[in-house]
Amino acid sequence: MAIAWWQIALLTLYAGYQILDELQIYSSLSAPVFAGLFAGIVMGDMKAGLIIGGSMQLTVLGVGTFGGASKIDANSGTILATAFSISTGMKPEAAVAALAVPVASLMIETDILARFTNTFFAHRIDKKVDEMDYKGIERYFLAGALPWALSRMIPVGLALTFGGGLVTKVVAVLNGSWKWLGDGLTVAGAILPAVGFAILLRYLPVKKHFPYLILGFIITTLFTVTFTDIQTLGTGLATATKAFTTSFNGLSMLAIALIGFALAAISYKQSAANNNGGGSSDGGTKAAVKQDSSADEGEITDDEL
Amino acid sequence: MTNSNYKLTDKDFKQINRRSLFGFQLGWNYERMQGSGYLYTILPQLRKIYGDDTPELKKMMKTHTQFFNTSNFFNTIITGIDLAVEEKEGIKGEETVTGLKTGLMGSFAAIGDSIFAALIPAIFGAIAANMASKGNPTGILIWVIAQMAVNVFRWKQLRIAYRQGVSLVTNMQSQLSALTDAATLMGVFMVGALVATMINVKIAWAPKIGSVPLDLQNNLDMILPKLLPAVIVGAIYWLLGKKHMTSTRAIFIVLIVSVVLSALGVIAKG
Repeated sequence: MAIAWWQIALLTLYAGYQILDELQIYSSLSAPVFAGLFAGIVMGDMKAGLIIGGSMQLTVLGVGTFGGASKIDANSGTILATAFSISTGMKPEAAVAALAVPVASLMIETDILARFTNTFFAHRIDKKVDEMDYKGIERYFLAGALPWALSRMIPVGLALTFGGGLVTKVVAVLNGSWKWLGDGLTVAGAILPAVGFAILLRYLPVKKHFPYLILGFIITTLFTVTFTDIQTLGTGLATATKAFTTSFNGLSMLAIALIGFALAAISYKQSAANNNGGGSSDGGTKAAVKQDSSADEGEITDDEL
Repeated sequence: MTNSNYKLTDKDFKQINRRSLFGFQLGWNYERMQGSGYLYTILPQLRKIYGDDTPELKKMMKTHTQFFNTSNFFNTIITGIDLAVEEKEGIKGEETVTGLKTGLMGSFAAIGDSIFAALIPAIFGAIAANMASKGNPTGILIWVIAQMAVNVFRWKQLRIAYRQGVSLVTNMQSQLSALTDAATLMGVFMVGALVATMINVKIAWAPKIGSVPLDLQNNLDMILPKLLPAVIVGAIYWLLGKKHMTSTRAIFIVLIVSVVLSALGVIAKG
């Protein structure tokens, strides 16, 4: 199945949109898991897209843009891997390691290029400041969107247009004489999320909160093993007897997240109570700020439910 | 003489918020990072405070294109405090403003990055990815809604910061540290949960003792289920602490080692 021109157009447009979204409003439509969903729907296989997007999401879980450093472009990687996985029939799990990760890390270079190009615009702005040309300042500032968007759209568009033949050949080899490599890439795809978790732990104060790391791991391990076993039992019973029609669901991650949220809320309340114990000089404003921030907390809580 | 009698109105706040949400980082570059973005968000207000074509305006425009980099989730807090000072003191406040900006951007960058760029994406991304791996897109919707709530917060903070001015920083300090502490606690908990669910590999190697193959994975499960994922994450954590190690390098090392171990028949997809 070849990729149609309108599919290339839509995916290329999204590649340009996602970087601007990520830089500005951060609506999460720029997350790899959404990139997978979008590319999956465009290509006609939502599930494959979700699997690739979900894997890439976990791989880059801890990789924020700390201090303006370039990070691997998981979104572009997801778009290309999803498109080629569906159009050439490569297994989604293998596509993560074989396509998404290499593409994502190559795209660091175009990210750097975009950031360099914007230095040129910054100097134009300096000149316009001297000339007191207010419209000019704004024009050159908004022009910064171009290097950003093009740094994603050009590579993605070119790869989608010309990459198909190459990827088809690679898939044939991976399914044929080099099967060990294809299987290995599938295993690598399953392990890559571990990198995301480890990076996240590097940024979080693990030493301070280590009991909660153990709690999160053990509670989830016990539940996930139980839930999986019950599901296996259920499937077994259902094949053994037609009378058994109940189906069991897997473990809900949201439920686990709520346990974590409850623990965090307890800790927050305790430290807030400790702070109030110490005398405050201007209680009025402090209370006002407090109200505001607890209101924000409330909003986030509602959404998690 | 500056025309510093101007008072910011509702319309001004809306304009700053719009520019900040949809344009703050468009001009990001290696030299001065968000410098031009900072000027862009408050340019119309600067023109109103100092008046068009005055030397004061030019001086302040130059001040505001200098190096600036902070969390784009907290930048309008700094903007709000800055404008409160400039509105009151005009050009005389320049040194205060420069000090404020350079003093605050570092700490807000640290808090903002750890909460908004690492933690919220980690928690909601994990939930979304977990559901996605089963072919269910609902988790993505939950994340979008959460992110909208964050944007409401981004929209509101400008006015709060403007009204409270400099005193906000001292008032908020203990609050913010308690919040960051609670948020990182939840982050650590969630990483533990993710390790247990999202790394699906098992040991495939079954050495023969005499003629009986030894099921290593089953033995490990008896000690502690999901021990292998925990060991893998621990090993990568250690690897990341090495010198010259970047996240991209770590990803490739893990990729290659996984392929080799799989080809040797030691591990397989669980």
